Amino acid sequence: MPKPITPPAVDRVYTLNLGPQHPSTHGVLRVLLDLDGEFIVKADPVLGYGHRGHEKMGENRTYKQFMPNTSRMDYLSGLLYNHGFALAVEKFAGIEVPLRAKYIRTICAELNRISSHLLWFGTYVMDLGGFTPFLYAFDDRENILDILDRVSGSRLTYSYCRFGGVCRDVDDTFLEMTRAFIGRLRSRFPDYHNLVTKNIIFIHRTRNVGVIHPEQARQFGVTGPNLRACGIPFDMRKVEPYEIYDQFDFEIPVGTNGDALDRYNVRLEEMEQSCRIIEQALDRMPKGGPYLNKSVSFRLAPPKGELYFAFESARGLTAYYLVSDGSPYPYRCHIRVPSFSNLHVLTDVFCGTMVADAISILGSIDVVIPEIDR
Amino acid sequence: MMKRDLILQKLRKLLPEGAVSEDEGYESGVAFSARVPVARIVEIASACDHAGAYLESMTGLDFEDTAEIVYHFHTYEPKSRFSLRVLFPHEEKIPTLSGIFSSAVWLEREVREFFGYVFADHPDPRNLLLPEDADFHPLRKTFGKIAAYRKREEIYA
Amino acid sequence: MGSLVTSEWFRLVLGLVIVLAFSQLNALFLVWLERKVAGHIQLRIGPKEVGPFGLLQTIVDGLKLVGKELITPRSADSRLFPIAPVLVFMPVLVGFLVLPFAPNLIIRDMNVGVLLIFAFSAFTVLAILAGGWASNNKYALLGAIRSVAQNVAYEIPLLLAVLSVVLMVNSFQFSEIVKGQERVWFFLIQPVAALIYLICATAETNRAPFDIPEAESELVAGFHTEFSGMRFGLFFLAEYTNMFIVSAVATSLFFGGWHGPFGLDLGVPGIVWFLAKTYVLIFVIMWVRWTFPRLRFDQLMNLSWKFMIPLSLANLVVTAIVLKLV
Repeated sequence: MPKPITPPAVDRVYTLNLGPQHPSTHGVLRVLLDLDGEFIVKADPVLGYGHRGHEKMGENRTYKQFMPNTSRMDYLSGLLYNHGFALAVEKFAGIEVPLRAKYIRTICAELNRISSHLLWFGTYVMDLGGFTPFLYAFDDRENILDILDRVSGSRLTYSYCRFGGVCRDVDDTFLEMTRAFIGRLRSRFPDYHNLVTKNIIFIHRTRNVGVIHPEQARQFGVTGPNLRACGIPFDMRKVEPYEIYDQFDFEIPVGTNGDALDRYNVRLEEMEQSCRIIEQALDRMPKGGPYLNKSVSFRLAPPKGELYFAFESARGLTAYYLVSDGSPYPYRCHIRVPSFSNLHVLTDVFCGTMVADAISILGSIDVVIPEIDR
Repeated sequence: MMKRDLILQKLRKLLPEGAVSEDEGYESGVAFSARVPVARIVEIASACDHAGAYLESMTGLDFEDTAEIVYHFHTYEPKSRFSLRVLFPHEEKIPTLSGIFSSAVWLEREVREFFGYVFADHPDPRNLLLPEDADFHPLRKTFGKIAAYRKREEIYA
Repeated sequence: MGSLVTSEWFRLVLGLVIVLAFSQLNALFLVWLERKVAGHIQLRIGPKEVGPFGLLQTIVDGLKLVGKELITPRSADSRLFPIAPVLVFMPVLVGFLVLPFAPNLIIRDMNVGVLLIFAFSAFTVLAILAGGWASNNKYALLGAIRSVAQNVAYEIPLLLAVLSVVLMVNSFQFSEIVKGQERVWFFLIQPVAALIYLICATAETNRAPFDIPEAESELVAGFHTEFSGMRFGLFFLAEYTNMFIVSAVATSLFFGGWHGPFGLDLGVPGIVWFLAKTYVLIFVIMWVRWTFPRLRFDQLMNLSWKFMIPLSLANLVVTAIVLKLV
């Protein structure tokens, strides 16, 4: 990997304002890059363009009213956030969930994870200058959106989960569509590998680019596929299984170098593993039964105390930290978002890379800025 | 032996009796929680750092009688999250952890701007998410509309 | 009157008019073709609303561009900024003067035709640098710098590849080179040179995967970030016309120009052969663009200096030795 040979003289350094309106910042990120020629000397992300105060809103709403907010933080995996929030409150207030609802939620959550990874795949290759895989990925993602649209009535911010289940039952068409989609996605993977993974230019653009060392990842609190690419098999679905993930047979893909290529491979393999989870869930799902515990009160009030609930969103370890004073309004509602740490590590990783690599690294990290801004 | 238990042993040794409370069933999402005096947070956190834990989350709490910061750590092993809690008067300055965990730089910036809890010797005390000229602290219970402002013992009996 | 029609001046003026008309129409057609090709590669159908098969789409887009305000940034170089788009389009037009469309369809069959085309295409770099510098924008400047470095690096293997062909016919004249390929097209004798030429030509025209001067995911739009309206349009037209020129030159140098394969004409006029081959090459360039990601700047430089230049030099030496021996 090229590095500047000598530390640059101060007068050679100039500042490039990358963003907030820039084609590759995935949301509204602004990075002040101090450059020496094309080499980055210092990177200073400027955040907060999408700050809406979700944590403050959480304190002023009942738990149920806060549910739609959760899918608006990471809008690419909104259902995973819904799911996590529902699980957190259920655990906090001791709500029973019917088994069928658990399966429905798992299937939808994994579908959402695939859709998020597909979008990442497309935009990442586009950041590297390959436009075509973007549309291939969106074509596949469209199928997921159609499936989730049928059950939740929404294509991006689902708010599908409820405390004690889901808001609508699924029918046989949903199951057929999901099965058909899994088959279709599997048949598309060889195309993706031929078009992108085996492409010599792609490999040159990603191998040994943006290496995150395990120690660096620990220092900055990196989680999710970015951490697993460094070789640490840390996935909440395995480490602290929630919902019914302990009943499925799936693997946690890990990388070795922690470079952009490993992050790419980990995410692609994760899509395959999600397919496996969905298939198993489809086979074992109870044919009938309730999909929602209807005894949950609108103004439910968990007992006094606190709860820290962590789950695996598409981008890494996400957690809700809820403090209850026994009223229907949470006293404190903190959300630990993975992109926050994943972006922070870039201030370290960027140094000494070229602008073109910085774009590649930023893409490979897969950040969603509104999630950080909250 | 799991890193979590090593850290638990170490904290038991370092902290006075009763400061560490265990949660056997992992009910609140942490294996144990330790109440740390403000002056010793750097020492305790660096002990966690040496044991291989990472700083997962850090957030403030605002009570009528006291301010609090909760640090959540994890060691990548099953069910090994633990928390450190620091209680201090609202105006007091808290030592920064940015010398131990790089992630603390941003986390502390966030806590500072949203709660107004000031960290002594912080390397970069600018706002992170709020506008750079914002001089208000939105997550303080004295800001905007709130449901209740409580004393700490009303929640944590 | 008769003397006027046959006079050299009349020929030149008529040629220029035809060239202007052809280059514009060709660029409009190529933009449409690019969008169609991209569309079908990407499981879409591309433009289809305006005119039959969407053929009028680019004309409408062009009209829109003409109607847009020409914004000159306040801090831009007020003299250089408006000139740059004209500078970039001018040398491209000159190329048409020497292109051998058919045996009698060359505007000026100069004995240094090959040199003239490459001399003027090198001029494009200057225009891009002027545009990027005059914009007074860091993205534009970065794009311009990249463009200069890239064009300098790729011109060398490009010319070395062309030189191997020139050695074989002992002439810089396009008509001579094409005549030399009546039986066998040169790409069969000079496959390495042909390949090097095609790669370098793609780089010369700043097309993907070598489009780093305008890499939209890094530099927004590179050297033409600040250009609006028809000024941007001229950069755009120049790119597509340039693509036609390099493909036409490739056709004449390596793919037999107006000749059919293996001396078979099949009764088809020379110009049809010529245009067909040129458009096939253009299609290949588009195909490559929509398949590959972009190289990084230093990798691009390495490819040229460490690989293409030694290879083209070796190819030239081998050609010279073989020609001497035979």
